Amino acid sequence: MASPNNPVDWQGRYHHIDQILDTPGPRTDEAFMAGDGVKNFLRNEAKILVIGAGGLGCEILANLALTGFKDIHVIDMDTIDISNLNRQFLFRPKDVGKSKAIVAAEFIMKRVPGVKVTPYFGKIQDKDDDYYMQFNLVICGLDSVEARRWINATLVNLVDPENPESLKPLIDGGTEGFKGQARVILPTITSCYECSLDMLNKPTAFPICTIANTPRLPEHCIEWASVLEWPRVHGDKKMDTDDPDHISWLFNVAAARAKEFKIEGVTWSLTQGVVKNIIPAIASTNAIISAACCNEAFKIATSSAAYLNNYFMLIGTDGVYSYTFEHEKRDDCPVCGGESLDMSISSEMTVEEFIETLTEKQDIQIKKPSLSTPTKQIYLQAPPQLEEATRPNLSKKVSELVEPGGEVTVTATTLPFSLSLRIQFTSK
Amino acid sequence: MHDSQDIETATTAVATEGRPDDKTRRYDRQLRLWAATGQAALENARLLVISGSATSTSILKNLVLPGVGHFTILDHTEVTPEDAGNNFFLEGPSSIGKSRAEEAVRLLCELNEGVVGKADTGNVAEILDKNPSYFESFSLVIAHNLHPVLLDKLSTLLWSDPTYPILAVVNSAGFLAEFSLQFHEHAIIESHSDTTPSLRIDKAFPALLEYAKSLDFSSMDSMEHSHIPYVVILVRALEDWKKQHDGKSPQTYDQKKEFKAKILDMKLKIDEENFDEAEAQAYRCWTETNVPSDIAPLFDDPQLDSLSPTSPLFFHLLYALKKFAAQPPHVLPLTSTLPDMKASTASYIHLQRLYKDQTTEEKRTFTSFLQVPVDDDLVDSFVKNAHGLKVLRGKKWGLLDASPEQLAEKLSMSPRETSTHLAMSALRASTIKHPDIRPTAEILTSEAKALLPPGTELPEEFSNAIGELVRAPTADLPNTAALLGGLVAQEVIKMITKQYIPIDGCCVIDLIETWTGMI
Ligand SMILES: [Zn+2]
Repeated sequence: MASPNNPVDWQGRYHHIDQILDTPGPRTDEAFMAGDGVKNFLRNEAKILVIGAGGLGCEILANLALTGFKDIHVIDMDTIDISNLNRQFLFRPKDVGKSKAIVAAEFIMKRVPGVKVTPYFGKIQDKDDDYYMQFNLVICGLDSVEARRWINATLVNLVDPENPESLKPLIDGGTEGFKGQARVILPTITSCYECSLDMLNKPTAFPICTIANTPRLPEHCIEWASVLEWPRVHGDKKMDTDDPDHISWLFNVAAARAKEFKIEGVTWSLTQGVVKNIIPAIASTNAIISAACCNEAFKIATSSAAYLNNYFMLIGTDGVYSYTFEHEKRDDCPVCGGESLDMSISSEMTVEEFIETLTEKQDIQIKKPSLSTPTKQIYLQAPPQLEEATRPNLSKKVSELVEPGGEVTVTATTLPFSLSLRIQFTSK
Repeated sequence: MHDSQDIETATTAVATEGRPDDKTRRYDRQLRLWAATGQAALENARLLVISGSATSTSILKNLVLPGVGHFTILDHTEVTPEDAGNNFFLEGPSSIGKSRAEEAVRLLCELNEGVVGKADTGNVAEILDKNPSYFESFSLVIAHNLHPVLLDKLSTLLWSDPTYPILAVVNSAGFLAEFSLQFHEHAIIESHSDTTPSLRIDKAFPALLEYAKSLDFSSMDSMEHSHIPYVVILVRALEDWKKQHDGKSPQTYDQKKEFKAKILDMKLKIDEENFDEAEAQAYRCWTETNVPSDIAPLFDDPQLDSLSPTSPLFFHLLYALKKFAAQPPHVLPLTSTLPDMKASTASYIHLQRLYKDQTTEEKRTFTSFLQVPVDDDLVDSFVKNAHGLKVLRGKKWGLLDASPEQLAEKLSMSPRETSTHLAMSALRASTIKHPDIRPTAEILTSEAKALLPPGTELPEEFSNAIGELVRAPTADLPNTAALLGGLVAQEVIKMITKQYIPIDGCCVIDLIETWTGMI
C-alpha cells in the first residue's frame, strides 16, 4: 500500500507483512480491521517508545522499523563501549564514546527509509507524564532493575479509568547469557513488574567479615580491594568501574592480597566482572527476546493475532526450553495492588534493624528507605536537617513508634511510589 | 591484617599488566560464556547459508557478531522489492535488482572486520547435481525455506558420510516456524551442566581422612573451632560414627536424624555457622558417590570396543574414564573445585591443597589408561567436566515424517507441537504437488493426513496451525525471522563450540501464543 505520508514506500515493500494484515487467522480477535484500516494505524498513527538502545534496544529498533512502525522514539543515557560491539549491531568501532540513542536512531533512519526515530540521550526520569502519555506502546530493553521499576510505576500511575488512552501496554524484555524473558504488562490489568520482583535472582553478597578477615575465594580479595581498600586509599574519590586504570588498581591490590593468602584465580577479567557485576550477553539471546517483544508490540498495535498472556521465559543452555505462563497479579503489590503489605516483626526490633530487613527483603528491595506513619516521621534519609532530627529514632524499637496493626509508609528517592506496610509484632 | 608495603609495591607495578587487548574487550561478554576455547572453535568454523532471505541474514548476523571465521551465502537470485522491504541486511530500494547474496554479504561484513564473508551467486540445484563435493569444505550448512525437493537431496547427501557438515534445516511461514539439526554424533565435554561433582565425603581419600582424624577439636580456641570447614567436620563425624556402627554410614531415617543431632552437639557456641553448614550437607555422608547415572550408560558405547588411533579423542578419553571407574572406589576422577564454605583462610586453603594434590594424582592414573597422546589441557577439561559429559546421536532430516505411527503417537502426546510440525510438513508437500496453487486448508489437511495412519483424527490445534499457513504461506515476517535468527544461531554456536547442549529433535515455534516446543 502506498501511503501519502510516506512517499518512499515502494510497491511490494510490505508484501510479507501484508499477508498477515490483509486477512485474519483462526486465532485473530474480531476487532481486527483487516486491510487499509490497520495498515494506516500502524504506519501513520502508531507512536511507540523504546527504552534502552543497547543489546535489546538495537534489535528492537530494527524489528519495529521493518514491521512498519514509522514513528519511534528511543531513550538511552549510555554511550557506546567497545564491549557492546559483540551484539549491539547498529554500532561500529568509530562510534565508541557516542550516545547509543543518537547513533542507533541515525542508523535505523539510514537503513529503513521513511522511518522516523527520535532519540533522547538522557534518563527516563527526565521525562514527565505528558511525555509518556503521547505513546501507544512502550517497549523496554533495560538491564537495570531500578529503571524498570520506575517506568513500570510511572505507567501504572498514568492509568485514568475514565480515559482508555491512558493505558499504555508495557512490553519488557531481559536477558542473561543463554537465558531471557519477555512479558506483556497491561498496567493495572495484568501483573506488573513490581508484582514479580521476587522472581529476580538474589545478587551474591559477601559478608564484610569474610572479606576483611577470612578471604577464601578470589572474589573475596577483589571485594576487599573495591569495598575496603579503595575508600581507605582514595578517600572521597569515586571509583569508576568503566575506567581501566581503576580496574587495574583494584586488580593489582586484589592480586597482592590473594598472593599473601595463597589464593589463586584473581585475574583482570574476574576483577572487572565482580566490580561491574557483569552479566554475560550475546547477540543471539538478545535477538530472540527482542523479537518476542516486538512481535507482541506488532500484535497489540494491529490486533492481527492474540498476544502473549503474559510471560515467556527461555532457557537455551540445554536444548531450547521455554515456558509461557500467566504471571498472577499480586493484591498486595505496592504499585498496582492497592492493598497494604502485611509484615510481622519482633517487638524488640529497632528501626535501624527494620530498615536493614526492608533492604534485604526480596519482594521489596528498597535502597535507603524513609519511613513514616500517618501521624509522624520515623526516619527520613533526606534532607539533612530532617535526617538529623529523625536519627535518634534509629535506635528505638519500632513497637515504641507504631501501634500493632499500624501502617508504615516506605518511600525512596529511586522509586516513584510509596509502599504501605501493615505491621504486626511478635513477642520475640 | 594486610601489609601496606605489599599494596604499595603492587600498585606501582606495570599498571597495564593483565589488561585485555581490544579483541578480548570486544568479545568480553561472550568469553564469559564459552571462554577462549569456544571462541577459537567459532573462529575456525566455515558456514554455508543457503538463501539470503530475511531469516538467513538474521541467523548470520548473530554468528558474524560473535566472530565466526567464515561464511558463504549461496543465492542466485536478485533482490526483489519484497526482499528490500523485510530484510535489514539489504539497503531498501537501492538494493533492488542487485545480487541478493552480494548485497547481504556486504552489509553483514560491516558488523565485524574479523569475519570473512563470501557471496556465491551459483544455483544450489545445479551444485547439488554437478558438484556435490562443494559442500564438503564447510563445517555447517544452514538452509532456510529451501525447496523440499532440493532439501531432500541436500540432507541425503550430507547424511551420506559422517564427516560431512552438520545441516540446520529451518522452515518458516508467517507466525509459525520449525528447525532441526542433522548430525550423526555430537560429543560434549563442556556441557556447563548444573550438577556439581561429588566432594567424596563418603569415600574420603587417604590424605583427607588423615587430616580430619588428626585434628583435635577440643583443644582449638573458639575462633579456630568456628572455622573448621564443614567438609572436614563431616568426614570426621562420619568416621567416628562408622567406628560405632560396624563401619556403616547412617542408614535409617532415625540414624540420619541422630547423626545430624550429633553434628549440632559438636558446637561450642550456638552461632557456629560451620556446624550448621555441616548439618545441612550431612546427606553427603549417606549419598554414595559412584559413577552418575547419566554417565554410566556412556561406557556401553560401541565405539569403545573398536578404538583405533584415529578414533575421536573424546572416545579415547571416555575409554580411559571407563577404565578409571572400573577400579575401586568406582568413582569419576576427583575435581579440585571446592565450593565456598565457612572457614578460616588457612584451613580452607589447606583443604583446597589436599583436593588439588589428590586431583593431580588421579589425573595421573587416568592418563595412564589413555592409548593415544592427548593434549594436557584437553585431559584437564575432560576430567574436570566428566560428571557432565554428553553424547548425542542424531537422525537424518525427515525421518520423523517417515513413520506414520510415530507421528500419530506424538500427535496424541503433544498435539500443539506436532500439529504445527505437521502443518509445516504439509505446506512443503503442497509446494511439490501444487507448485502454482496457493495452499488451501483442504490441500494442507489432505497432505497432513497422508503422513498419518488412515483415519487419524486431527486436533483443533491443527486447524489453528494450517489456518495461519493459509493466511501467510510465503511470509518471512521480520519478527519471526529475528526470533529464528536467534534460536538457530544459538544452536549453531553450541554445535561449533561443542559447549552447552544443542537440541535433540525438532524445535517448533508459534508466535501467536508465543511458545516453543520440542518433538
Ligand atoms: Zn503489580
